[in-house]
Amino acid sequence: MDFDFSSLFAFLLFGVTIGVVYGIVALGISLIYSGLDIVHFAHGEIYMFGAFFGLVFSHTMGFPYPVALLLAMVCAAVLGMGIERVFYRRLTKGGGGYTVAGMGMIICGFGMSIVLMNIAFLIWGAAAEPFPVDLGMPFQLGDITLPKSYALTAVVAVLLMAALHYFLKKTKLGLAVRAVAANKDIAYLMGINVPMMISLIFGLACGIAAAAGVLIGPMQSVQVEMGYLMLLKAFAAAVVGGFGSLPGAIAGGIVVGIAENLGAAYISPNHKDIYAFLLLILVLMIKPSGLFGIVARVKA
Amino acid sequence: MLKVSGLSTGYGKLQILRGIDLNVAEGGIVTLLGGNGTGKSTFLKALSGLLPVWEGSIEFDGQKIQNLPPHEIVRCGLTQVTQGKDAYPAMTVEENLKLGAYVRKDKIAIAEDLERVYSFFPRLLERRTQLAATLSGGEVQMLVIGRGLMARPKLLMLDEPSAALAPKIIMDIFATINRIRKSGVSILMVEQNVRMALLLAEYGYIIRDGVILIKGDAKDLINDPNVKKSFLGGTVANSTHEIKA
Repeated sequence: MDFDFSSLFAFLLFGVTIGVVYGIVALGISLIYSGLDIVHFAHGEIYMFGAFFGLVFSHTMGFPYPVALLLAMVCAAVLGMGIERVFYRRLTKGGGGYTVAGMGMIICGFGMSIVLMNIAFLIWGAAAEPFPVDLGMPFQLGDITLPKSYALTAVVAVLLMAALHYFLKKTKLGLAVRAVAANKDIAYLMGINVPMMISLIFGLACGIAAAAGVLIGPMQSVQVEMGYLMLLKAFAAAVVGGFGSLPGAIAGGIVVGIAENLGAAYISPNHKDIYAFLLLILVLMIKPSGLFGIVARVKA
Repeated sequence: MLKVSGLSTGYGKLQILRGIDLNVAEGGIVTLLGGNGTGKSTFLKALSGLLPVWEGSIEFDGQKIQNLPPHEIVRCGLTQVTQGKDAYPAMTVEENLKLGAYVRKDKIAIAEDLERVYSFFPRLLERRTQLAATLSGGEVQMLVIGRGLMARPKLLMLDEPSAALAPKIIMDIFATINRIRKSGVSILMVEQNVRMALLLAEYGYIIRDGVILIKGDAKDLINDPNVKKSFLGGTVANSTHEIKA
């Protein structure tokens, strides 16, 4: 039997598309990690909230899809900054990472994840909500039919990455964010308002997660429990790419997305969610610093 | 310009400084001398706001600044230059310098000051697009001093500018510090290199175990038998070079 190259190509294409979404959520996780030395375990719920915000804006309020995307990002950013200001700041003030306060921060993240999930449950209920978006007819690439939502996802994800890259590398505020990420005491001595920058990092990371939620919505459906699987896969993506490295997060996301789709296609579709974690375990065994860990050697 | 009275502070419950009094007059160089672990860096951290002040007061430019957040103290015109290892290694030389001017909005004056820093340290101009991680020890020290100047401070606080540098480079750095003073910036310099620091400064304080042990005019201190006996020594300290501007 001949090997079907066009379906392989389709699996790769879908893998990359879903992978960039994992990648942008991982980008947020890495951003928070490099800024505060903590892993934010409620990030999946921010992503879920973002998807619901998008649904509310585009369906209940009738905004066009791109506007709903932007509004959802803004709302999630505000939500994230609020959570950081009210709950996390007390803990992160004591230090993150491997300090005792850092441990408390991890527990607090898990707790926040449960709280947010239950708030969403109270507001929107447990049923999966469809998120139909009419973007027009799918693209036809040879034998492959590519829904427009997939193409849009890829485009938005690339734009977000480019915007983040520009922000961090070319603007004064971005420079300050990198300074805070690399060394907070020195950042203070430069006259940077460090707590404000940490808020900003949180807002950015949460806004990006919301974008991922609104992009994934039309492909799957929007549901209260959608967050934890995304968190775990984005976490896997961040580890595969090298924790704390921003380009690594995107590359890791794409690798995870491809592995997942190829695994589902050629091994067993019933165990689709396992492949990301198999990959995670393999990377941790063979190259714990991540496939692109060299980039993360120096922060900022 | 800077008036510190009865300053006490420490880390957690551990008290390091016990009632420090210190003054810096406008346009001069004052040096705070002492060995490792005597509280010199702790003193600077308290002035910068990185450590809470337990007791005492810090008055700068007629304003009480104790326990202001560090980023606001910088805006008052008090800038601390930490040791060279504290440059941002993953940023380029120019990014490091621009970060120094973070509190300022005057783009034209910032560009002028960048030129001024490059004229003080031509080596930095050659390396402006390189990552700070690739610089030598002396170059990184130049970079952090330049970065401090970019804030256009009224008072520059230097934390051991001669630490871990070769004698020749120490001479260069001290000559530049002298030029910076002549350009109108007051300087508070923390040092272990007692003789060199006293040759440059007008006034000196000697700290031990968190209290000021001896203070006086630099030219008196340099001949003080107590200072000589307990602090002067080492190769650079015996150097007979004059510091030229």
